[in-house]
Parts: sequence; structure tokens; C-alpha cells
Amino acid sequence: MEYGQNISVKQADLYYGDFHALKNINIEIPAKKITAFIGPSGCGKSTLLKCFNRMNDLVEGCKITGEFKIGEVDIYKTNDVNALRKNVGMVFQKPNPFPMSVYDNIAYGPRTFGIKKRAQLDEIVERSLKQAAMWDELKDRLNKSALGLSGGQQQRLCIARALSISPKIILMDEPTSALDPISTGKIEELCGELKEQATIVIVTHNMQQATRISDKTGFFLLGDLVEFGDTDQIFTNPKNEKTENYITGRFG
Amino acid sequence: MNSSKIKEQGGKAIFAGTAGICILAVIAIFVFIILQSIPALSKIGFTDFLFGTKWNPDANDIYANDLVGKYGILNMIVGTVFSTIGALAVGGTLGYFTAVYLAFFCKGKLKKIINTMVNLLAGIPSVIYGFFAIKAVMKLFNWMSPTGNATGLFMTSLILGIMILPTVTSLTKTSLEAVPKSYYEGALALGATHEHAVFKTMVPAAKSGIKAALILGIGRALGETMAVVMVAGNSPQIPDGLFESFRTLTANIVLEMSYAGEVQMGALFSTGAVLLVFVAVINILMGFVKTGGQKTKSKKSLPLWDKITSKINFGKIGKIACFVSAVFAGIFLVSLVVYILIMGLPHITGQLLFGEFEYGGEISILPSIVATLMTILLSIVIAIPLGIATAIFLNEYTKKGSRFISIIRSAVDILSGVPSIVYGLFGAITFVVLLGGSYSILAGSLTISIMLLPTVIRSTEESLKSVPDSFREGSLALGAGKLRTIFKVVLPSAMPGIIAAVILSIGRVVSESAPFMFTMGASIKPMPDGYMSSGTTLAVALYKLSSENLHTNEAYATACILIVIVLALNLLAEWVGKKLEKKLNGETNGIRTKHKRKAS
Ligand SMILES: Nc1ncnc2c1ncn2[C@@H]1O[C@H](COP(=O)(O)OP(=O)(O)OP(=O)(O)O)[C@@H](O)[C@H]1O
Ligand SMILES: [Mg+2]
Repeated sequence: MEYGQNISVKQADLYYGDFHALKNINIEIPAKKITAFIGPSGCGKSTLLKCFNRMNDLVEGCKITGEFKIGEVDIYKTNDVNALRKNVGMVFQKPNPFPMSVYDNIAYGPRTFGIKKRAQLDEIVERSLKQAAMWDELKDRLNKSALGLSGGQQQRLCIARALSISPKIILMDEPTSALDPISTGKIEELCGELKEQATIVIVTHNMQQATRISDKTGFFLLGDLVEFGDTDQIFTNPKNEKTENYITGRFG
Repeated sequence: MNSSKIKEQGGKAIFAGTAGICILAVIAIFVFIILQSIPALSKIGFTDFLFGTKWNPDANDIYANDLVGKYGILNMIVGTVFSTIGALAVGGTLGYFTAVYLAFFCKGKLKKIINTMVNLLAGIPSVIYGFFAIKAVMKLFNWMSPTGNATGLFMTSLILGIMILPTVTSLTKTSLEAVPKSYYEGALALGATHEHAVFKTMVPAAKSGIKAALILGIGRALGETMAVVMVAGNSPQIPDGLFESFRTLTANIVLEMSYAGEVQMGALFSTGAVLLVFVAVINILMGFVKTGGQKTKSKKSLPLWDKITSKINFGKIGKIACFVSAVFAGIFLVSLVVYILIMGLPHITGQLLFGEFEYGGEISILPSIVATLMTILLSIVIAIPLGIATAIFLNEYTKKGSRFISIIRSAVDILSGVPSIVYGLFGAITFVVLLGGSYSILAGSLTISIMLLPTVIRSTEESLKSVPDSFREGSLALGAGKLRTIFKVVLPSAMPGIIAAVILSIGRVVSESAPFMFTMGASIKPMPDGYMSSGTTLAVALYKLSSENLHTNEAYATACILIVIVLALNLLAEWVGKKLEKKLNGETNGIRTKHKRKAS
């Protein structure tokens, strides 16, 4: 079965121990679009995002029910988590480049999946950095430690690293919350370009960001997906009163 | 897909298996030593053995005949308790005040220097302490002794005290530094002086940590062997004065093992078993302190103690005590090193270092150097992978509250508390016997390997803990499996700690002597011709040279070589740790500042 680029979630519930963190979530995330998750802190945005690449497997006492499909694959039925994560990349809130050279950071993913030839790796590194609009910045420092880059550069490097294995979907959990406005702008621009080839799901606290870059927006509250729809509609004409209260800044 | 699953499962099984070795080792040590002591205990009689006050063994005693010798160890138990109390009085006090000094009263360069000195004190071999005590420290105190010879309880307590000082200091310091800074600020806000805040607020808050430090110090003092043998005097009697000769349990084993008869041997193993009981008690106490410290948060005040403390002006006295303790530790270290260098350097000759060894003739320590290197090589090859794998299991595969994990942890704790001489006993009845009954470098290396495990495990675990989870998440999110994540991302980031562990382990092999004496041999020999040869490490050679009292110059020279190696290793470990730490986080800064400059 093939991993596709759309995500389909049906009747999903998630518990951390006794705590009901996601409540009957149903959502259809379209392919090659940017979908934003918004909502107050602790409402379950990251939790849902981490379901898509099964990073929640790492959390002890986390129980998940319901159906999560990516393309045709029911991801909680497959037992090859690594293949899932190859198809569904992730960018974290805090940039987390490995303590290695820029080159090795990007080559890490391809190497994981058995690519060893230098020429092939060179090509992937160049392609990924170009896609992340960093090639010109970094081509002379490929062998320098990635930890030496600025925060914004580190985050874009992490995006390049995620791109290195050509994921069909990229999950981003508040990727710009630790960055300055200029770096944030660059990453937003990048997202716009990346949706040509990949589906992007982004968690953000910044509502302007959601309106600027996303096609679809989901609003979460206390583990519920309160409203999901076109970004324009959500921000100009929300159907649910809670959504309206939130986007107009009445709480959260 | 399937093959990677198998690899992951296999990896986990191997890590778990190595971790299991620690449990196995603990069980084996207890079982073997106790099994060896049962025949002797039943022959001698349990109460006669424990409460008998006469130790007068007869090497011809065998289990089949009636006993001629006397085998009561009460005097040695009392001797061990006395010297431990003495050591605690000296080392506990000095260590405590030094820790407070380091934590609150000194800064910058001075702090670094004293810290390093305390670490170096921990690295100095037991034989060197003993040797320095006999050759130098004792001379300062001989006038106080009625016999004109300062061997005995006082000297032992002093030396043991300094030996446990680093343990007490570093643990106390850690727990003091773990007290939230807000407590201190709170105290100052109420008008307390710096000193008052330190002694009345910070120290009480770290109470359970300090207790743990003292208990660990007691454990070390109980198990210390070589230095004690060299300064205690060793007559099996209860000392009735500070300068009376006495004997500890550990010394009893070292002194008589090599020529013991059947029952006597059994009695020595029984002595080892008693030491293990002490170790068990210490571990249990430690458990109480750890859990009890959290439960009894409410302040139980000791009225008398409070009355006394409220009268004392902590500001001055406490600060002075701290300063004096730290300075004392520093002076002791410096004078030990300087004395041994001065006395030893002139006697380091070509013959000693590179010459042929002849029985009864010229001494050469080349065979000992070779034997030491062989032991280092083999024990590192064994202990480092096992220790790292165990640490990986403990840190990377932990499920919170897993029973298996907590059992392994206690096993590691117990292993690190078992006295080195007991390891020697264990090696003698397992590895030596397995390898055909004669001493060999192989048997010695295997013995010390088990001893190294706890150190390697702890230090690796520390550095694994310091690797941020975001690295692991980053790797897993790229589709890497757990094994790849561990080997390619986690371990390389933990490298500083691992390399420091290797260096410290080497230092340990060089410093130890008790585990080797009855596994690889205690008499200085010509060049070993393989791992099945017997031999002596440098430290054992020093013990031998100094106890024979014939080759004083060679002994000084050997001590000198030994101390240079040990100091170099300890300093190297510190330096490497810092250097690599910097390389991992700091190289960073260089480039980052460059980048910023460009931007502006
Ligand atoms: N590992 C965990 N164990 C137990 N509870 C958790 C865990 N992770 C998250 N939670 C709880 O689940 C809820 C949802 O958390 P989540 O991190 O998904 O929120 P979020 O919407 O991403 O919030 P934020 O905007 O602050 O990142 C929170 O109440 C949180 O406390
Ligand atoms: Mg979140």
C-alpha cells in the first residue's frame, strides 16, 4: 500500500494515562496544501500532529484509538514505523540539528535508508539545501558544525534535513516560535514553495501566520476539533462562536 | 523491514543481557564468598567466630581435624568500627566544610583549583597514601606516641579521613548546589547575612544529600585496605589508645591470604562475608536516607543542637572552618606530591625503568609496567563495552518504575560499594580457580573489570542523560531506528563522558592493588610472557617494595612514577571532558559570533 499525501482521521481518541487529550477527532487534511492548527495552549495541537508520524509511541501510557490514514495506509496498523516517518517528516519547535557537520546532518536521513554513495549524497545535500533556500548561504560551510549556525539557520537546516528523504508530508510544530521576524519570514516563504511537492501541517500560535500561509485551518479547544475549514472562512466568517471568540482575542 | 525489527530486538536483548551481568556479578560475589565461608563458620562456630577475641590461626588446621588455632574476629570488627569512626570524624568534617567552602565561599580560579585538588585526592592510589603516611606523616606524630611510633588508630583515622574526603566533599557539594537559589535569596531578603543564609538555610535544605555523602564515606573507610595495612600496626587486638596497634577486617585478609591453611582460608573468606554484611547495611541505610529525606520534609528540630548552634556565631567560625578545611586538603595533596617527587625522582634510573630483573639482584620495574599495561588493555576492552551497554540499557530503554531497571541500579550501587579486597577474594576463588589454580594477569584483569563496571556505567549514564531528547526525537522523526539513533546521535554526543570514563578506569587499574594480590600475584617477577603469566602491577610492586623494606630507593622511585601517571591521567580526564564538551557546544559560539558580526 502506498503512502499518499492526504491525511484522514476518523473518530480518533487519545489518552495520556487517564487524561483524555484528544476527543473524537475527525479531520480530512488535503494533499499539497498547508493546514494550520490553532488553539490555546494545551488544547492538543501538538498531540494530534505527533499522531501523524507516531512520535506519540515514545510517550509512556499514551493510548490511541480510531483510524489514522495517510493515503491508503492505516498508520497504526502498519508495523514499520520507520517507513512511515520516512514519508512523514517533522520539524520541531526548537531547532534540533545534530551535533555534526551541516553535511552529515542532511545526509543522516538518506544514510538511514541505505544510501552510501558519496556522489548521490552530495546531490541530495545540494538539492535539500536548495529547496530550503540555504545552498548559497551554506555551500562553503558544509563541513562546519551545524551547531554554529544561527537559530533561524538551524531551523531551516532542520527543514532541509527533513526534505532530504523526500517526505510526502511535513509536520511542523510551531517552527518559528523561537525565531526572529526575519527568519520567520524566510520560513513562511519556504512553506509556500514546499507545498508544490508536499503536504504541510503546521501548528502555530500566531494567527497572522496562519492567515498568511495556510489554506486550511483547524481550531482546537480542550481536546476537541471545534472547527475546520478554509482559512479565509475560519478567520472571516467562523461558524462556531468559540472560534470567533478565540480569533477575535476574547480568550486564549 | 523484518530484518530491521530483528536487529532492534537483538540490540535491546544484548543491552539487557549486559545489564544482567551486573546483577549476576552481585549474586556471584555474595554467593561465592558466603559458600566459601560456610564450612569454616560451622567448624569454628558462628558465635566463636564473630565474638571470639582471640585470633591465632594455625596453618595446619583442616576441616577434618580438631582445631588448634583460634579464629575470633571481634577485635577486628571493633578495629574496623573504630577506624571508620575516626575516619568519619576527620574526613566527614573536613569533607563537609570543604564542600561548603566550594559551594558558597569561593569563586572563579580558586574554586577550580580546589575542585581539581579534591578530585586528584580521589585519584591517588591507596598504596601511595600508605607509603606517604609511613615515610613522612608518621614522623610528624611519632613524638606523641608512648612507643615513639605513631602507627595505630590515630594515624589510620587521619589517613582514611583524607582518603574519604573527596567522596564526602563531592557528594555534599552536589547536594548543596542542588538547593534552589531562591532559598538563599529568601534568607537574604529577611536580613540574614551570607554566612547565616548558608549555614541556616542552604545546609539544612541539603541535609539528606549530606547524610548520603557521609554514609558513602563510611562505606569507603570500611573497605579501604592497603593504606590501612601499612599504617595500622596490624596486631589483632582492640586498641586501647590512639597510638595502639590494631587490625581491620580488610587488613586481616591481605595479611594472611597468601599463606593461609584450609580453615584459616575459610576464616578469611568469612571475614570477607562480614565485610559484605557491612556493605549490605550501608546500602540499606543509603536507601533509607534517599527515601526518608523526601518524606520527612517537616523540620524535626533537635533542641540541644539548635541551642548550641544559636549560640555560635556562624558567620565567623563556619567560614573559617570551611577555609581551613579546604586549605588543609590542598596542603596535604601538595605535600604528598612534592615529597614523593623529591624523594623519588633522583632514584629513577635506567636500570629501574628498562633493566633486566634479576632475582635477588637488581630491581627493575619494567615487568610491572608491562603487566600494568596488559591489565589496563584487557580490562578496558572488557569493562568499557559492558559498562556502556548497561548504561545504554538503563538510560535509553527505561520504562518508568520498571522492576528490572531498579534491580540493576541497586546491583550497580552494591558493586560500587564492595571493598576492593573482597573483589580480590572473589577473583581468587572464581577466575584463578577457573584458569587452572595459579595467579595470572588474565585473572587479575577479569577481577578488576567487574570492579570498573559501576564507574563506567555511572559516568556513561551521566553523559547519556546530558544528551538532549531533541536529538533523539530528531533522529527518530527521520525514520531512524532506535539502534541507529543510539549509535549515530546519542553516543557521539555522550563521548566526553565516555572518554573520561575510560581514562578514569585506566587510573583505577593503575591505583588499585588489593584486587590483584591474590589474582595475579604479589611478588615482583621477571617479564610476563603472556596473559597466563603471573605478575605485579606497579601499585602492588610498590606495596611489596615498601613492605620488604630492602629497596627503599626503588620504592620511592616507583611511588614517584605511579603518582605521575595517576595525576596525569586524572588531569587528562578532566581536560578531555572539558575540551570535548566545548567542542560539542562551544565551537558553536566561535562561528555564531562571526555570523553575527557579518549580520551587523
Ligand atoms: N507526554 C504527556 N503526558 C501526559 N500529558 C501530556 C503529555 N503531552 C501532553 N500532555 C497533555 O496533553 C494536553 C495537550 O498537549 P499538547 O502538547 O498537545 O498541547 P498543545 O496544544 O500543543 O499546546 P501548546 O500550544 O502549549 O504547545 C495538555 O494538557 C498536556 O498537558
Ligand atoms: Mg504544542
